[in-house]
Amino acid sequence: MIPAQYQPPLPLNKLLVPVGTPGAGDRMELDVVIVGAGPAGLATAIELAQLAKRDGTELNIGVLEKAGALGEHCLSGAVVNPRAFRELFPGLHDSDFPFRAPVRGEAVYLLTANRRLRLPTPPTMRNKGNYVASLCEIVRWLGEKAEALGVNIFTGFPAASLLVDGPRVAGVRTAATGLDRAGNPLANYLAPNDLVAQVTVLAEGTRGMLAQAWSEWQQVTAENPQIFALGVKEIWETKRPLGTIVHTLGWPLASDAFGGSFMYPLAPNLVALGLVVGLDYRDSALDVHGLFQRMKLHPLFRRYLEGGEMVEWGAKTIPEGGYYSVPARRSGDSVVIVGDSAGFVDVPSLKGIHYAMQSGMFAARAVFAALKHGDPSAARLGDYDRMVNASFIIHDLYRTRNMRLAFKHGFYTGGLKAGLMTLTGGRFPGGKIAMSRDVDVPRRIAPGVSPGLGVSPGLGVSPGLGVSPGPGVSPGPVVSPGPVVPDGRLTFSKVDGVFKSGNATRDTIPTHLIVGRDVSPEAADFYARLCPAGVYERVDRGLRVNAPNCIDCKATDVLGPRWTPREGGSGPKYKRM
Amino acid sequence: MKIAVCIKRVPDSETRVKIASDGKSLDEAGVKFILNPYDEFAVEEALRRKEQAGAGEVVIVSVGPAAAQETIRTALAMGADRGVLLQTDTIPADGLEIARALAAEVRDSGYDLILFGKMAIDDYNHQVGPMVAELLDLPCVTAIAHLEIGGGKGTAEREIEGGVEIVDFPLPAVLTAEKGLNEPRYPALKGIMAAKKKPLEVKPASLGAGGLEVLALTPPPQRKEGRVVGEGPAAVLELLRLLREEAKVL
Repeated sequence: MIPAQYQPPLPLNKLLVPVGTPGAGDRMELDVVIVGAGPAGLATAIELAQLAKRDGTELNIGVLEKAGALGEHCLSGAVVNPRAFRELFPGLHDSDFPFRAPVRGEAVYLLTANRRLRLPTPPTMRNKGNYVASLCEIVRWLGEKAEALGVNIFTGFPAASLLVDGPRVAGVRTAATGLDRAGNPLANYLAPNDLVAQVTVLAEGTRGMLAQAWSEWQQVTAENPQIFALGVKEIWETKRPLGTIVHTLGWPLASDAFGGSFMYPLAPNLVALGLVVGLDYRDSALDVHGLFQRMKLHPLFRRYLEGGEMVEWGAKTIPEGGYYSVPARRSGDSVVIVGDSAGFVDVPSLKGIHYAMQSGMFAARAVFAALKHGDPSAARLGDYDRMVNASFIIHDLYRTRNMRLAFKHGFYTGGLKAGLMTLTGGRFPGGKIAMSRDVDVPRRIAPGVSPGLGVSPGLGVSPGLGVSPGPGVSPGPVVSPGPVVPDGRLTFSKVDGVFKSGNATRDTIPTHLIVGRDVSPEAADFYARLCPAGVYERVDRGLRVNAPNCIDCKATDVLGPRWTPREGGSGPKYKRM
Repeated sequence: MKIAVCIKRVPDSETRVKIASDGKSLDEAGVKFILNPYDEFAVEEALRRKEQAGAGEVVIVSVGPAAAQETIRTALAMGADRGVLLQTDTIPADGLEIARALAAEVRDSGYDLILFGKMAIDDYNHQVGPMVAELLDLPCVTAIAHLEIGGGKGTAEREIEGGVEIVDFPLPAVLTAEKGLNEPRYPALKGIMAAKKKPLEVKPASLGAGGLEVLALTPPPQRKEGRVVGEGPAAVLELLRLLREEAKVL
């Protein structure tokens, strides 16, 4: 099964709206509108406001955020490299930043179903000098800094379309609020708003809808398509303190899936842990949430979690393509793309937040200079691309350019190649490993695997996979021990998870997910397993969509039904993710 | 029409509440605060009354910490005209102290209506509105679900057990809002922008300790785990039997 067969195209006619098209309520003019109050968008806003202040100019900056409150849709590991914070706030010290604690020790393990083998920490994964943090907390802190500088942050206002004027982006139109299931206005209906700006900054985060639409419209491509991973994460209050950060490889993933887990102490008895799996996995029955639940049964995790309490759950995709998936340009006429939307993530070091912030700061400098010249054209805003290209962002991504990609042929060859790449500073094997879009990767349908198992039937089932189980340590016997039946203590169902994400979206909003036509029963099963929030259910030979469950992770936007924004404040309400 | 709306900043009802180490207050770490939902109905009603009258002023008054300014701004973003924060770091357990501070603030200011939510969702006391009415010697109708104003007087409907009570009252009056009085509006983008520039006066609240003291907070007992009786038609009979014999509710 090839998922692309069932994926509807981006609804470009809805995403690109000529400026002046009727249908909006209020119209507001700003100098700069920023879509998304994550680390990239807020760093852009802060740097812009600081530049304007230093220059004595007045700059009207607005940030749109779809979450009901700052940080509620932000999720990361996270171990943060503080360098972008230091540059953005030269007057502050590390102790002033919203971090939890410095990394005091770290361990990398290769897991089998019952055992673990400690590996030497790969150089890319060394975290000395970095800090454990909650992205929600970082974003709330950045938001306060931005507001103190006079930036307008509009939480609860998702951007639904780009306003376009010829080849130029003229601003954005927000999503309407207060519609019933059939799309009719309710008593508290609020029409879309048009925010017209000299420059629009797309900081939508992973799998940005408007960034995709703009790139498709302007035919901006990259050497490789962007590829994604899905991470499912929980926060636990534990009885047993965790002192170091932990990463694992291997079990419970089969060797033809790329991924790993993390476990970080936010405080000694407050632990963030999660499992991240590349969406180019081959087994259509793979279920990241299900695998994550199984993973917690391993003694390595269990010893910390047992007797504790799961207090938060969430999920998000991650752009993993790295250097070759960064779009050829991230700027155009009156528009720039920053952060995850531009693909500034380095998988081998598991870092993105400082790249997001730094890209926002570069964007702010280019935008400010362009506005000073009264010329926010593609030529001027191209300074942003030039700054990024000359910086540590592209330098770091270039060093590890093929590492994630090497794993497309499985864990063993990938591990070997990645090791050689590390030794050669990225020069081995030379050239570029070409990737397909995740949606074009064929999926194996194993007969008789029951839904929700999340277990791979093993190596070599499908010929031509290119998996070579070499000698050495196996990442685990690949057996089907049966589905994890959630016990409500250590393991949880998807519905439990959605509840713990704080998602209280009203049941009566119109569906925001665009499902392809003639979805086969196999594809319906695939969606049901893929979606960590239980949005999709296979019903007989059809598909049921429980849209209010959606927590905006974007996984099916990558591999199936398209995501569009709902009314503001819908979705999860993350606190410490 | 000049209307005061007294509001409170409360923990979000979605918040997972933890008791602080002192055993008698909430641990506020990581807690999100919101405008008390019943007060939202009061704000909405005030805005509608003003719109209906074609002129007037809606003033938001709150007693709370400095952060309650944000809560007041939410009401200003909905459309209220100005705000007053009587600032205090600790809110006394005795509602009478709050009522005294609010009454002193709104007394002799020419308000036609003083609106409250019927209760705050954090302490469930239902006290402050009626107390303010008493202190100001004004008529008070609590938990109103419908309101008509005209000709210097008003008519309110209250949903009572098994029926609706209709109450006439002269203005000025104190009213407390029940859920269902209206559908509160979302703050519009322009409203949010405008709210930043609206006047918000902050002055220290003079509060006594009052006659009440919280000795301890304890979480409710853990709910017993549910049980799946079975599936299909056979389960219905079993469920009926359990409801009759074990739960004794039939």
